[in-house]
Amino acid sequence: MTSIGTGYDLSNSVFSPDGRNFQVEYAGKAVENAGTSVGIKCKDGVVFAFEKIISSKLLVPGKNKKILSIDKHVGLIASGLIPDSRHLANRARQESKNYRSFYKSPIPIPYLVDRIGNYVQAHTCYNSVRPFGIMSIIGGVDEDGPHLYMIEPSGVYWGYLGAAAGKGRQIAKSELEKLDLPNISCRDALKEAARIIYLAHEDQKDKEFELEMSWISLTETNGRHQFVPEDLLKQAKLLAEESDEEEEEDEDEEMQEN
Amino acid sequence: MDHDPFRWGRPRDDIYGKYDYSIANSEHYFQEHKDKYSEFPRMNTQEPIVTGTSVIGIKFEDGIIMAADNLGSYGSLSRFTDIERLIEFNDKTVVGISGDISDLQKIERLLEELKIESSYDDVNIEFQADNIHKYLRNVLYSRRNKMDPLWNSLIVGGIGSDNEPFLKYVDLLGVEYASPALSTGFGNYLAIPILRKFLEEKGIDETKTDSDNFRNIKEEEARKCVLECMKVLFYRDARSLNKFSIVTISKKNGIKLEKNLKIEDMSWEFAKDIKGYGNGQRY
Amino acid sequence: MFRNNYDSDTVTFSPTGRLFQVEYALEAIKQGSASIGLRSDTHAVLVALKRNAEDLGSYHKKIIKIDNHIAIALSGLAPDARVLSNYLRNKAMEEKLVYNRPIPIQLAVNLLADKAQQNTQSYGSRPYGVGLLVVGYDGSGPHLFEFQPSGQVLEFYANAIGARSQGARTYLERNFSSFKSTTERELIAKGVEALRQTLKDTELTSSNTSIAIVGKSGLKIFENEDVEPFLKQETALDLAGIDENSNSTDIEERNPVEQTQVNDTNVETMDTD
Repeated sequence: MTSIGTGYDLSNSVFSPDGRNFQVEYAGKAVENAGTSVGIKCKDGVVFAFEKIISSKLLVPGKNKKILSIDKHVGLIASGLIPDSRHLANRARQESKNYRSFYKSPIPIPYLVDRIGNYVQAHTCYNSVRPFGIMSIIGGVDEDGPHLYMIEPSGVYWGYLGAAAGKGRQIAKSELEKLDLPNISCRDALKEAARIIYLAHEDQKDKEFELEMSWISLTETNGRHQFVPEDLLKQAKLLAEESDEEEEEDEDEEMQEN
Repeated sequence: MDHDPFRWGRPRDDIYGKYDYSIANSEHYFQEHKDKYSEFPRMNTQEPIVTGTSVIGIKFEDGIIMAADNLGSYGSLSRFTDIERLIEFNDKTVVGISGDISDLQKIERLLEELKIESSYDDVNIEFQADNIHKYLRNVLYSRRNKMDPLWNSLIVGGIGSDNEPFLKYVDLLGVEYASPALSTGFGNYLAIPILRKFLEEKGIDETKTDSDNFRNIKEEEARKCVLECMKVLFYRDARSLNKFSIVTISKKNGIKLEKNLKIEDMSWEFAKDIKGYGNGQRY
Repeated sequence: MFRNNYDSDTVTFSPTGRLFQVEYALEAIKQGSASIGLRSDTHAVLVALKRNAEDLGSYHKKIIKIDNHIAIALSGLAPDARVLSNYLRNKAMEEKLVYNRPIPIQLAVNLLADKAQQNTQSYGSRPYGVGLLVVGYDGSGPHLFEFQPSGQVLEFYANAIGARSQGARTYLERNFSSFKSTTERELIAKGVEALRQTLKDTELTSSNTSIAIVGKSGLKIFENEDVEPFLKQETALDLAGIDENSNSTDIEERNPVEQTQVNDTNVETMDTD
């Protein structure tokens, strides 16, 4: 890497002669090998899915949730340093709480994301802090309907129809592009999200993982952020596993044909 | 001898020194020295403005029942007739609030905030009625200590941490007490005697709050008694309304909030004998 | 010689996105003696190995009571654990004061996690150098959490941290599925057995072993002579499968050292490692 040894990459908030901020780029590296996050914007809401890598079989299944609730109507999911995502979520909670106490209404998601984007950006400006080592997907439903955004370690954020971060993001992205977004229903998107996470996990089959999913839907959850009910989760998992196997069979057949 | 009658009977200057008029004129004095005393005097709520009247509540065998009317009075004016004063927190807790309506709204928002905060962590341990009561007690008591009270009396009802019916009072001073039958405000004079008579008929010693002798009260009986109280309250409390809500929380059936109930079977026959009642002078 | 330029503080990412200072802090856990945690459907248990700096010195405390329903076992820098336990005690009291309820364990460990995370993102403070096993019992049953200085907190059925803990983890991984419906005594026995897997040249004695168990009836911590029966019982268990003499779960009979204020003050004064 050209950055190493130049001395411009040793401190946050320092530009290199060609105008790069290496510490922010390195923060991005912390995301690249992390568990995959997927967010899908649907016609009636937003769906989140997370590939939670299981580091030990002694862990309690179904616990250790990584998808975080920000407010009744907003959820956050991040790939990268998990403790950083809790930090950012706490900040987002504070923001939406303040908004509520000031305006007596739920925080509009674009406004929330803008505030959080600023907060992340601030962590690139000072050498007394480090940038966030996460890509965070924030989504929810407000009076203008569903929203989905992804914030990068630099503080940059974009709105998405389908967002993916973490190790399997390339596969996830190409799968997301095949979907008819945002004209899909949350119920269908659940299955797609599950399938995409299973597909994105292909590359590291040796590692166990647990699928974690939550959603915010006007029709299904009354506009509230909730974890997906056990039966729907199970169903989505089953479908994902099936299509996973089919794909493998297809590959096998192709191989034989060749 | 001082011959000025104005000074007679007053502290003598030669003994006590000249009276410091800046004390009497303190307002002007502190106006002039704003830089030094900018905070003086500071006044917080001195009286409630728009008010709600009594909340009543009683325990029965496996739950509680509470009622409050929908009136928001502005002094003696029936200003608002659609105020809901029974606040559902969850399916095990309800808060009935009387007193200042804007402070009621503040409490409502505090509870909403608490609800959101408790959904942050994946805890799955819900607040029970006694937790909510303790929280509100702390809020009210700390506001009283700041000399800026939330001008309310309230009753928290529901199912407590011990999985038993819970009913407890707390007011703007932070005073708290429990009883199988409770009321706030004017209801303390009008409804409590009726509720206590009911308890007595049931052989219940209402001074024993921890006894479970509210258990031989059936839900239907309790409801009948509460309806009777609401009727008497509407008869005699001039700041009340004949439209009210009732909430029932039981271990068996969870929470049920009934709105827009009307007081029934009233008889205003006696009214014609009251001088000054109704339009025009009759006698 | 190769010099790592990226490991001198917590605010510098390495070119591969790693935080070396945080990783080094995780190493500090392994310097401390082992702690074991495990749980059944009704109870959670801590078993820890105490060290003394010299023969005449006292053993350093491994299990700290937080509240009547929470205890922690530490591996690593004991003073750091004291700071964290102090914080946790305050939070537990706050919950009691404001809501009159025992603090939910998940909430407690999340508070710890968030506190630790702060030290990994700003200059001027170091990450905590201690790992904790947190056991507790609340409205959703018994819990066991592992806390790491990175700010990571995870819920486990069973886990081991500290020096030579891999042996214990292997034992736990093999056996944890049978912990579900064990009795209190058996659960402690399994914990003691797991701790044995971390030993080298030493024996478990009543002076170097600490045990804590928490369940619906509250927290009990066993130190010194009160540990003795569990060490003996373990051999009996080994020989006879399961101890049949007493199938009672009445651990109270053993007259445990309920941690009192006296013990609490000990915690404050001891900082030998």
